[in-house]
Amino acid sequence: MTEEEQKKPGFLETAKSILYGMAGHDMSRYALKTRGSMEHLFILITMGDLLGIPILPPYYSLRILPYVVPQISTWKRRMLRERDLTDALA
Amino acid sequence: MTKEGTLSLRKIFEEHPERRYIMFGGKGGLGKTTFSAATAYWLAKQGHKVLVFSVDPQASLSDIFQRDIFGKGAVEIIPNLYAQEIDADQRIKEYQNMIRRKILDMYGLEQVPEEIENYIQAAAAEPAMEESAIFDAVVDIVVSAEYDYYIYDLVPLGHALYYLSMASVYDQWIDKITALRAEMEEYSQVAAIMQRKKETEEDAILRELQYIKERINKSSGILTDRERTAFFFVVIPEEMAILDTKKAAGLFARYDVPLSGYIVNRVIPETLAQQQIPDYLRHRLEMQKGHLATIKRELGDEVLAYIPEMERDITGLGMIEKMAYEMFGG
Repeated sequence: MTEEEQKKPGFLETAKSILYGMAGHDMSRYALKTRGSMEHLFILITMGDLLGIPILPPYYSLRILPYVVPQISTWKRRMLRERDLTDALA
Repeated sequence: MTKEGTLSLRKIFEEHPERRYIMFGGKGGLGKTTFSAATAYWLAKQGHKVLVFSVDPQASLSDIFQRDIFGKGAVEIIPNLYAQEIDADQRIKEYQNMIRRKILDMYGLEQVPEEIENYIQAAAAEPAMEESAIFDAVVDIVVSAEYDYYIYDLVPLGHALYYLSMASVYDQWIDKITALRAEMEEYSQVAAIMQRKKETEEDAILRELQYIKERINKSSGILTDRERTAFFFVVIPEEMAILDTKKAAGLFARYDVPLSGYIVNRVIPETLAQQQIPDYLRHRLEMQKGHLATIKRELGDEVLAYIPEMERDITGLGMIEKMAYEMFGG
């Protein structure tokens, strides 16, 4: 966004943003969070042998590997950490 | 006896020219490679373009053709006859490098991260890796559709069953994760709509999964194709071999492998009995008679050929030609 636009957003734009903030934001946050969990589930069932759980034939899991490189470290942390009460609040 | 058997094997090929994928299965050491080579030889002499290839990491086509063809792609042995032995190690190495290159390209890295590199190396050390690599190489070979006939020199029974079960397990498994991936895509789209983004990125992983599924279906599809595949079991007139073969035939039937018939190998010629022969050989002949009777009783019409025990090893084109004559006649 340029400065000009930031200064005077149209009325309609403002209304849309407010509406999104009230209703849409939570829903999209929820959708992305669900997707995030599924992403980890997906990596677990394809790349499980990184944790020592052999699941997918390694020949084909290598094909998936390049796409999940960025997630590998966060995913390992998520899968291996201990659960506690604060998880419920997250 | 040999004569009528010979004709039935030949008849299968003449009556079913659409059966282009030919496989010989059986216990180790009964003559699968020999029959593969001789069949390839005969078909090539009939004017068909034939590729005989080995899916066994301990392949022996090089030995039978007396030429080093290991890892050299399809090598022409005689006009129309090509033979190939897949070098699984080489293929795995190339595949690993392809994965590394892809990672470097995708993220603009200089070097593959250590954790990832460890994984790539560990994966390649898995015993199943070799089988999967060959399995995958076979798909490359058969989709090229360059030949009239593809003759699989199969691995011994246990491994062949492993291939088949692997194919069906892979298939179901990939269906499941493809469904999960598709569902994930829906959530992404919901979020994108909420945030009024125009479109989501195409899911590259989903595409990759579909590719893998296609590859697996292709190769297992051929193994179980009633129209285009002929699967022959090789057995010898010995008790253990007969028992194991019957067991294996049952298992193969469960995976829907279309069985074309049995070939009995290593039959000691009965005419020998009329000659002056040592007791040792006479006893062998007597024992063989009993086993042949069992084979006739239990397999009956499904036996397509009885091949005599040859006087020497079958290596080299001369002996292959002789074997082809025993199998198919002139």
